[in-house]
Amino acid sequence: MKKVIIGNHAVSWGAQLARVEVISAYPITPQTQIVEKLSEMCADGSLAARFIKVESEHSAMAACIGASAAGARTFTATSSHGLVYMHEMLHWAAGGRHPVVMAEVNRALGPGWNIWTDQNDSLSQRDTGWVQLYCETNQEVLDTTIQSFKIAEALDLPVMLVLDAFYLSHTAEPVDIPDQEMVDRFLPPREARFKLDVNDPHAFGALVRPDSYMEMRWLQQQAMREVPGVFDKVEADWMRMFGRHYGAVESYRAEDAELLLVTSGTVTSTARFVVDRRREAGEAIGLVKVKMFRPFPTGPLREALGGVERVAVLDRNISPGHSGIFAEETRAALYDLPPEDRPEIYGYIIGLGGRDVTPSVIDEVIDRTRRSTSAEREDLWVGVSP
Amino acid sequence: MSSPAAGVAGMAGARGIPPVSVSQTSTLVTRTGSWKYIRPAYHDRVAPCNQGCPVGIDIEGYMNLLREDRIAEARELLLAENPMPAVTGRVCHHPCESACNRRLFDEAVSIHAVERMLGDLELEGPPGVAPAPTRKERVAVAGSGPAGLACAYHLARFGYHVTVFEAADRPGGMLRLGIPEYRLPRAILDRDIERIVAQGVEIHCGTRVGVEPNWQRLLAEFDAVFVASGAHTSHALGVAGENAKGVRPGLEFLGEVNDGGRPDVGRRVVVVGGGNTAMDCARSALRLGATVTVLYRRTREEMPAIAEEVEEAQREGALIRFLVAPVEFRVVAGRVCAVECEWMKLGEPDSSGRRRPVPTGERFTIPADTVLTAIGEAPDLDHLPDDVAREASGVHVDALGESSRAALFAGGDVTDAARTVADALGAGKRAAIGIDRHLRAIMRERLGAEDPDALRFGGGNLSAVRWLGRDPINRVAPVNEVVAFEDLNLNHFAAVPRRFDTHVASARGGFGEVNQGLTDRQAMEEARRCLNCGVCTQCDVCLIFCPDAAITRNGNGAYAIALDYCKGCGVCAAECPRGAIVMTREGL
Repeated sequence: MKKVIIGNHAVSWGAQLARVEVISAYPITPQTQIVEKLSEMCADGSLAARFIKVESEHSAMAACIGASAAGARTFTATSSHGLVYMHEMLHWAAGGRHPVVMAEVNRALGPGWNIWTDQNDSLSQRDTGWVQLYCETNQEVLDTTIQSFKIAEALDLPVMLVLDAFYLSHTAEPVDIPDQEMVDRFLPPREARFKLDVNDPHAFGALVRPDSYMEMRWLQQQAMREVPGVFDKVEADWMRMFGRHYGAVESYRAEDAELLLVTSGTVTSTARFVVDRRREAGEAIGLVKVKMFRPFPTGPLREALGGVERVAVLDRNISPGHSGIFAEETRAALYDLPPEDRPEIYGYIIGLGGRDVTPSVIDEVIDRTRRSTSAEREDLWVGVSP
Repeated sequence: MSSPAAGVAGMAGARGIPPVSVSQTSTLVTRTGSWKYIRPAYHDRVAPCNQGCPVGIDIEGYMNLLREDRIAEARELLLAENPMPAVTGRVCHHPCESACNRRLFDEAVSIHAVERMLGDLELEGPPGVAPAPTRKERVAVAGSGPAGLACAYHLARFGYHVTVFEAADRPGGMLRLGIPEYRLPRAILDRDIERIVAQGVEIHCGTRVGVEPNWQRLLAEFDAVFVASGAHTSHALGVAGENAKGVRPGLEFLGEVNDGGRPDVGRRVVVVGGGNTAMDCARSALRLGATVTVLYRRTREEMPAIAEEVEEAQREGALIRFLVAPVEFRVVAGRVCAVECEWMKLGEPDSSGRRRPVPTGERFTIPADTVLTAIGEAPDLDHLPDDVAREASGVHVDALGESSRAALFAGGDVTDAARTVADALGAGKRAAIGIDRHLRAIMRERLGAEDPDALRFGGGNLSAVRWLGRDPINRVAPVNEVVAFEDLNLNHFAAVPRRFDTHVASARGGFGEVNQGLTDRQAMEEARRCLNCGVCTQCDVCLIFCPDAAITRNGNGAYAIALDYCKGCGVCAAECPRGAIVMTREGL
């Protein structure tokens, strides 16, 4: 069934199809419609989930952790200040190995107060131990929502699926809504490997001494290392059942390219358009879309980018005092390629706080990268007049 | 402090260390209950509506049953305390709603409309079979108004043979004589009385106690007597021209109209007074086609009439002139033609606590074809035996309605009580319990409750259900303490608008019932607005919030607290929506 729906509702439909059992959330623009729709579904009986109202995002995540610990399939959504307010609980979810799924709508952090898209909110949660998946279209948002539960529950890791404020959250696109029966076959009910049992109570998240703490972190890291494999298998299943797949890293018209753009989120769609035009003009330019940010897809990225002359990474974020975060991670991933395969990597800061990234912005990135001979390529800002 | 992370079933990891930190031993070994210095306990407390009801109805109790759709049981619980719910559902001044905690949240529950629905439901059922008296004593009741009928009804349910003597030719007292049909249709009144008769009560009309039967006979033939002969003598104004034609006591006028009479009152009617009788006179005169002016010597705030009655009288077109008192009725050819009035102002408070009206000397005149006086009525005490003590305006009685003379009880308007239907019904029940106690004490029988205060709803009226020890609701450690608004946790409730009674558009059309009440469905929705103050409804909030999972359902529709693990944090008591959990100090 195809419906024209906004990205926020694509998340809601996905969570409904995944038969989430517990939802706890606190409203924040531009996420609110996700949980509004879910609360309506709970109220009208079309979703048999417990909706827990709370007074803050910190409590929302705490409630999700409790529900997940009790064995429930658990979901929440947030954005921006809501996400950073959750920060402590994000560690508890990941360290406690609770497979909570969260939709996170990328929105800039204040001040200055800003409700438009920007990746600094989710990227600032990089080291909390959550899987992070960045989406490009509303269809991808819906598909990824359902897939996230499968990945999360396979490895007992929390998953954050990320979508751009307004460009996806509030923009309607035709979305194919999968059949419930098929989704049920794809995603059976959760079977928790360990859970709270009031009849045999144990303390969860209790004190762990130095003789064991490191082993637990090591196990967490092992699970993170298994994510790409599980992700590929989940995508293969999805492809087989629903005919769509995305990839942790996707190369677009990258064959024989002299210059590759590295993108994430909705900037990718605009970049595809520019790449098409450039290819028509006979220029050897392609792009690589990074969907999975944590765990970082080092291997696939090295394969996609190795041997190319120049790479331009587009970052809708900034690590102040350093560079764009995708650029920084890409440099680290490619550093130990043999020198002859190692591309020159140019990092561009674009579109912060929801500033529009138009084809001309991407043209400028391409042109600057092609004519640059400078060694200075750390954080090149586009559209800012000094 | 728990042990280092170790395996629980189903987990494996590095060197046997699981991926999450879960204590090896059950947390049950840690008796966190030893930390507490206060402990929670469930107590059903008293909802303020129950205390506020002069009849002494377990309002919260029947609302609770309605919430579970137990309609027949709800009706039974109501009827166990109030024999005339169809009547009170229409004419009661519902102080329960003024006491309702919900009024501080959004709007009071429309209790009177729910009561009316339950009362009217009864109309559809067959009249019950009269239970055979189980006691040999006989009780006489003088007067078949609400006080007399309530007393007779409850005594019949207690097992007594009761005979009611009524001076008029039909039972009902002031309900029939004083309350117009547009407020209380006669069919409704008759059916409520039929239900009382169906309990085995005998009513003899046209018999005036003190005349026939005389007191000698009464006291010889009956083991106890309840006097509820009402207050029927209208106070005189003491104004010149009061005896002219066209000036008549309002109560007499109402009696004629309520009996089906349609007297000619002319075009212009002046009503003197600010109570319910004055409002009934005004609205009845409007229905006879007259233009009506009400003179009241104080202001709107001091008016004793039910607020809704005042509003409806005004809506129907009665002009109420405040701070105005009549000083003379102008008479032409023996008939009143105008009222000379004087403007008043409010002075110091009088003994009733209301500010006393003080004449200003400024006068004006309004024309009048009929003047109806309604400044209050006094009981006629001449028919009582001389040794019965009197006080200011009625028979002196104690807390259970007994007069200075043993076995002679009194209640309703013949005593000093508030002159409302609800107070009269409550006085009747109180005296029924008093008479039962009195007669059982003579027989040296065990009493249902030694202390009558234990039968009260808080500081309110007595409960017949409690007197009989037949509360159908499983009370959890009840305490006779009223729940304040501050004791509720309103975070668990959503604002829901109160349903208002439907009123027929034009009241001047005739004497048909004005207030159509709520539909059954609306009334059931209204019942669900009840917050059940102070009473556990098994809503599970405590169970959900207890951080130690120390609260469990005990299988009896209540909860058990595992005190070994309850830390005494008080979250359950703070979260309880209804104030049904109290924290007490350990060891006390």
